[in-house]
This record gives sequence, structure tokens and C-alpha cells, in this order.
Amino acid sequence: MQQQSAIQAEEAEKIPFVGDKEPLSSLAVEYKSGNAILLEKIKVLIKQYAAIRRTRGDGNCFFRSFMFAYLEHILESQDRAEADRITVSVEQCRKTLLSLGYAEFTFEDFFALFLEQLENVFQGSEGSISHDELVQRSRDQSLSDYVVMFFRFVASGEIRKRSEFYEPFIQGLTNTSVEQFCKSMVEPMGEESDHVHITALSEALGVPIRVVYLDRSSCDNGNVIVNHHDFIPSTKGDLTYGNVRGSETLKPFITMLYRPGHYDILYPK
Amino acid sequence: MVDFARVQKELQECNRDFEVSGIKVMPKSDANLAHLLGTIPGPLGTPYEGGSFKIDITLPDGYPFEPPKMQFATKVWHPNISSQSGAICLDILKDQWSPALTLKTALLSVQALLSAPEPDDPQDAVVAQQYLRDYPTFMGTARYWTEAFAMTSSLGVEDKVLKLVEMGFPEALVRSTLVSVDGDENMALEKLCSG
Repeated sequence: MQQQSAIQAEEAEKIPFVGDKEPLSSLAVEYKSGNAILLEKIKVLIKQYAAIRRTRGDGNCFFRSFMFAYLEHILESQDRAEADRITVSVEQCRKTLLSLGYAEFTFEDFFALFLEQLENVFQGSEGSISHDELVQRSRDQSLSDYVVMFFRFVASGEIRKRSEFYEPFIQGLTNTSVEQFCKSMVEPMGEESDHVHITALSEALGVPIRVVYLDRSSCDNGNVIVNHHDFIPSTKGDLTYGNVRGSETLKPFITMLYRPGHYDILYPK
Repeated sequence: MVDFARVQKELQECNRDFEVSGIKVMPKSDANLAHLLGTIPGPLGTPYEGGSFKIDITLPDGYPFEPPKMQFATKVWHPNISSQSGAICLDILKDQWSPALTLKTALLSVQALLSAPEPDDPQDAVVAQQYLRDYPTFMGTARYWTEAFAMTSSLGVEDKVLKLVEMGFPEALVRSTLVSVDGDENMALEKLCSG
């Protein structure tokens, strides 16, 4: 068991936390002698998506992908309204953790570091960073892990706060209590993410996320369809700042490719 | 680098409600916050009741991402704690650690482990066998160890000083050593002998 995880860790360290953008054709190369359904699905994906950015398979790939994709989106769009909106959500998360009894010093540094990165991707100020610097920071363990841990705090706080909502999903995954789930599967670094984590992060931060599934499942009629699921935050958050978002349906600006056990970032055409 | 600013805050927070929890964490020396000494009271209704257990804490460079290294400095008879080295078998000190935990919550978990041994996942096979096969003897041994090793601190400071001075150590050194190990007579003796 220990040896197995050591091998996994060694394998994982061969790729950076966040890789370079690669054309989606690199995915086809990876599977060139692989399963026919997968190859068909990759062909479908290539029509819709231009590129993939791989993340290290260290159990933090979902949170790490989210970190990079979100900050990259803000850097490229310079969307101040979105940054202001998420800052309000982050403040809510801080209050949630305090009300749940977390000592502030356990999470304040992680929160501060995320907000600092968010500020730094806006251009024209002293701390501004370029796209290259964002990539470098995402590969710097001390920084990257802090932001990953920030998201873990956010997800855990959301699940605990609305435990009656998440309980049935957690029961479907494992036979543990909500409390135990958060302690052993959300808060420790390296614990893999499931739809519960994704729903919680999306809800708490008010950020919609699209996950595209690349697996061997196929339709009976022989048509190859690549399934995706959009995690759209419910309207609960909108009550606070409804005038910003109104009733329009939120469209995900973050897309991830899920292959069993791993998430990478996808770029639409 | 250990996040020492955080460690400072942890020490303050932990020692603030010492009156309630009985749990304490002190630096072993002012110069180095990476080496700490924790104290937990033995839980009521267990053979560890009335004992005061010292725990050596070393913070790795990656703290709080890496778990603190903890081991009992006070000898203790328990299936999940090595009777030789004091090593502790506890998931949150290994892969279940999270930066959301603190030295205090970790010590609380160690204290909870004293109340709820898990002999099927032992650290000390001999103790675990005894626990499973001869529970009364286990209880007796655990109690005896508590009285012998974890309750000596109930002596007054002056008694301890006297005892150690009688063994031939200079009084000033005895006093400063006792302070450095938080009044633990056994640890003071160990330190005096090794020093």
C-alpha cells in the first residue's frame, strides 16, 4: 500500500502541478493504440475543444485545475465585476468557517493568499503578474498548495454548513457522516475530488463549472456522444447581489476534462 | 520553512483554555519553535486517569502542510503507542493530516486515542495482544505505568529539586533543567544524565 502510493507520487512528480497548453491532438496520440470508443470520443472532442492543459495527478488535480482556470479567466477577461462578486462569496465562506468553529488562524493565510492572487491578475498595478508568471506561480508548491488548501476549506465549510443537503450524496459515496467525510476526504491535501467536492466549491464560490467525461461508456445505438455535466450554482447566492446576475442562466467559463480518477483543463474553440 | 507565525498563534490559542482542556504546548527552548512539548491529562474513567502525559512534538519544514511529528515522552502502556519509543499510530498524524487541524486538535485526538484503543491496528503488538487476550492484566499494567511514570509530577517543585540534588546534581542546574522540561522529574533526570 505504502509502496504503491510512493510509486504514484514518483510518477506524479514527473509532470508539473500545472502543465503547458497542448493541442487536443496530443490526447489522440496518447490513446493511439487504445480503446476504440475512447478514440471516437476524442475525435468528437477535437471538434469542440482546441487545447488541453494537464495537471499533476496528485489527488489535488480538480482544485489545482480550478485554481488555474479561474485565475487565467480573470487575467484574460480583466472582469472586475466577477472578481468583486467572488470576493463577496469568499467573505461569506470566511464567516461560514468562523460560525462552524474553525480557529481563524487555521485558514486566514490561505484566504489572504487567494485574494492576493486574484488581485495580482489585474493589470496595471504594482503587484500585477503576466500570464507566464501565473503559470510559474501555479507550479510553485508553496503558493499553489496554499490556494488548493483555500479551496478545500471553502468546500468543507459549504458541505458542513448545508450538511442536510449534502448528506444523501455523501451517503451514496461512502458510509460516513458528513463531519467525517469533510475531515478525511475534503480537508486533507491529496484526497481526490468527487461530484460532492465540485458541487460544494461551485455553490460556495458561485462559479459554474463544466465537466466533460471521457470514459468508455457508449450508447446502444452506436452513436458516440461525449457526456458533460454543468455544475451551476443554485440561486441562493444571487439573493445577495441579484442585480449583478439577474435570472439569466449562468454559463460555465471553466471546463474540465474528467478521465476516471483525474481532471485536466479543457479550452473550447 | 515552518510557518512560525502560525505556530505562535497556535500556542497562544491552545494555552488560553488550558483551564478547561488541561492541554498545554510549550516550546522546549525559546530559540526554536520547531521543537515543542505537549501535555495531555489522562482521560477520566481510563487506566490513564490522573496521569499527566508529555508528548514530544517536532514540526517538519512543511508544517502546516506536513503533519507534526508527535511521540510520547512519558512511558505509556497502550496498544497504539509503542511502549519502547512512544511512537503513536494515529491516522491524523499521517495521511489524514490537514492544515485545518492544529497542534491542539491533534493532541485532543491523541487524548481520545487513550480513551478508545484500537487493538486491531496496533503500534505495539505485545500490548495489543495483551489487550485482546488478557484484558484485566492489560488494565493493571496500564494503570501501573500511569502511576509509575505519569503521576510523579504531583510532587511539589521543592521535593523534586531536593530529590535530584540528593542524586548529586548542582541545585542551580537542577532548577533550570526542571523549568526546561516543564517540571517533569523523569525527563529532568534524563536530561541531567545525558547533559
